[in-house]
Amino acid sequence: MMMPPDSAVIHTRELTKEYELGAETVRALRGVDMQIDKNEFVAIMGPSGSGKSTLLNLIGCLDTPTAGEYWLSGHEVSQLDDNELARIRNREIGFVFQTFNLLSRTTALHNVELPLIYSGMSARDRHQRAREALDAVGLADRMTHHPNELSGGERQRVAIARALVNQPSLILADEPTGNLDSQTSAEIMDIFLGLHKRGETILIVTHERDIAAFSERLITLRDGKIESDERHTIGAPVA
Amino acid sequence: MNVFDAVVLALRQVWAQKLKSFFTLLGVIVGVTFLISVIAVVEGMNRYVEDDFAGSIFGINTITVERVYSRRGGREDARTRRRQARNPDVTVADADILRENVPNILYLAYNNDRYLPEVRAGQNRRKNVRLIGVTDQYLPLQGWDIVDGRGLTRIDDVRGIRVAVIGDAIAEKLFPDGSPVGNDIRLGPFRYQIVGVLERQGGFIGVIRDAAVVIPFGAYQADFSYRRNRIENIQIKFETSEAMVVGEATTEEILRARHQLRPGEENDFNIETASEVLNAWNTIKNVLLAAGPGLVAVALVVGGIVIMNIMLMSVLERTREIGVRKALGARRIDIVRQFLAESATLSAVGAIIGMALGIGLAWLVDMATPLPASVPMWSIVLGVTLGLFVGLVFGVYPAVRASRLDPIVALRYE
Repeated sequence: MMMPPDSAVIHTRELTKEYELGAETVRALRGVDMQIDKNEFVAIMGPSGSGKSTLLNLIGCLDTPTAGEYWLSGHEVSQLDDNELARIRNREIGFVFQTFNLLSRTTALHNVELPLIYSGMSARDRHQRAREALDAVGLADRMTHHPNELSGGERQRVAIARALVNQPSLILADEPTGNLDSQTSAEIMDIFLGLHKRGETILIVTHERDIAAFSERLITLRDGKIESDERHTIGAPVA
Repeated sequence: MNVFDAVVLALRQVWAQKLKSFFTLLGVIVGVTFLISVIAVVEGMNRYVEDDFAGSIFGINTITVERVYSRRGGREDARTRRRQARNPDVTVADADILRENVPNILYLAYNNDRYLPEVRAGQNRRKNVRLIGVTDQYLPLQGWDIVDGRGLTRIDDVRGIRVAVIGDAIAEKLFPDGSPVGNDIRLGPFRYQIVGVLERQGGFIGVIRDAAVVIPFGAYQADFSYRRNRIENIQIKFETSEAMVVGEATTEEILRARHQLRPGEENDFNIETASEVLNAWNTIKNVLLAAGPGLVAVALVVGGIVIMNIMLMSVLERTREIGVRKALGARRIDIVRQFLAESATLSAVGAIIGMALGIGLAWLVDMATPLPASVPMWSIVLGVTLGLFVGLVFGVYPAVRASRLDPIVALRYE
């Protein structure tokens, strides 16, 4: 087993995932090799059934591969158990979902604090860090609002603050603009660009070409394999 | 997720849906209420029977000789009733023989009594009076103290003097303005001079003493009795309980000899002691204490199942929340802890409401009925602990189910 280079946040070798669906075996991923380095801003595209979601689940440590290796920030994580995966998700990954997935019965501040609660941080430090994170996405004046008092764009910004608050090595966004109008989508993508400039490593799954255009590298999946992997200038239309 | 956060969350939920919470918690509430109030009443009764009832109706270390059981509330079987019907009367002669021959007697007294529909003094009347004709040791034997005037003496008895000692309730009714001592009281056609007033007893058992008119046995037999020699019962008080045991045996021997009973033949008289009543009470108490835990257990199990059901629904409703929490790094134990804290908080709220209701109920029983009730501290601790326990036990299954959710599936759940 060869260690990936230090610069790699994500490094996979022959990543394979198969499901038993009745008598049939579905081969969702058929050996994916990829490496994403620190501070890269990557978009993943692909038609439905291409293995996008499966890859995202594996990279997000929500699932484990059938075969192959997955190194996250220099640690092999493909064989970890439930609790170890939970710890990795907590420390290394910041999730941003299409449907925001905020807890509706509590405030924006508490939502942002959640990952810190699970990492065992004291209440005072939690408040402090959550405030800073909300401030960073421009929601300093919305901290005590409940999600249903916020617009779609504001909710997604709370979710981004939540993803950032534990200072993860990777921000994983699954169709982050899927539920937003184009104006708001552009605002959200601007936030991602800002984070990229600040040095964050970002992976976005999308099916919209103009969203993918915000990234600097586009990986296309087809039938569980990487079809293309191209770098481009940020903002340039992608083919 | 620390426990405090989970408790606050659960309390907020209880408060937000008060009616639903109430029904959810009904089982636990009923269980704990029942537990606390039953224990309170049993404890209260216990104290009452042991300290007051047995002591004041029967007296400590006292035996009662009588033709038929008078104080068992008719609980004897048909055979006993048939046998008792053929028993000979208890007589003054019996009492005299016992006084001569039973050792270590502190007091011996006998009495006859009857109901008087009305007594009068001047213009004042009092209805429903118990008239008791007693020998001179009756009042000290019963422990009935005099607060005004004097008691009854042997001379009163032997000479058949028409004097009376009256109960507190009667004194109050007939002589609202001053001391009754020295005044006359009309008992039927006869005029008796009041020489004393009994100390007020009050309460449930006080209805006998406080509404009594007590006169010497001699006068009673002359004015109110048809059968001169027959008496209601003979009461003998001993100095110690050991003396009572010996005295009871001697009394039985003497009466069997007087009635010429052959060995093996059943007694044709009854001897009752306070311990007999205590035994009867103990039987009732044991039934209550045996049935109580069963009922409490049923209520708590039902309450637990309802809580489990509610928690399962809550887990289902919050599948997505659980998925989010897991994605953000919650471990299984974190999820288990969250839902356990919630169900335990729920049932603890129920237990506290049940505790308040139980104490309230006990207080109500104490105030509204003659039954005393006292809530012992251990029953409160037991009730709340059991309530909490129910929430924890029945919360385990929903909590574990929640913790086992696959985050991918949970996040996709609509």
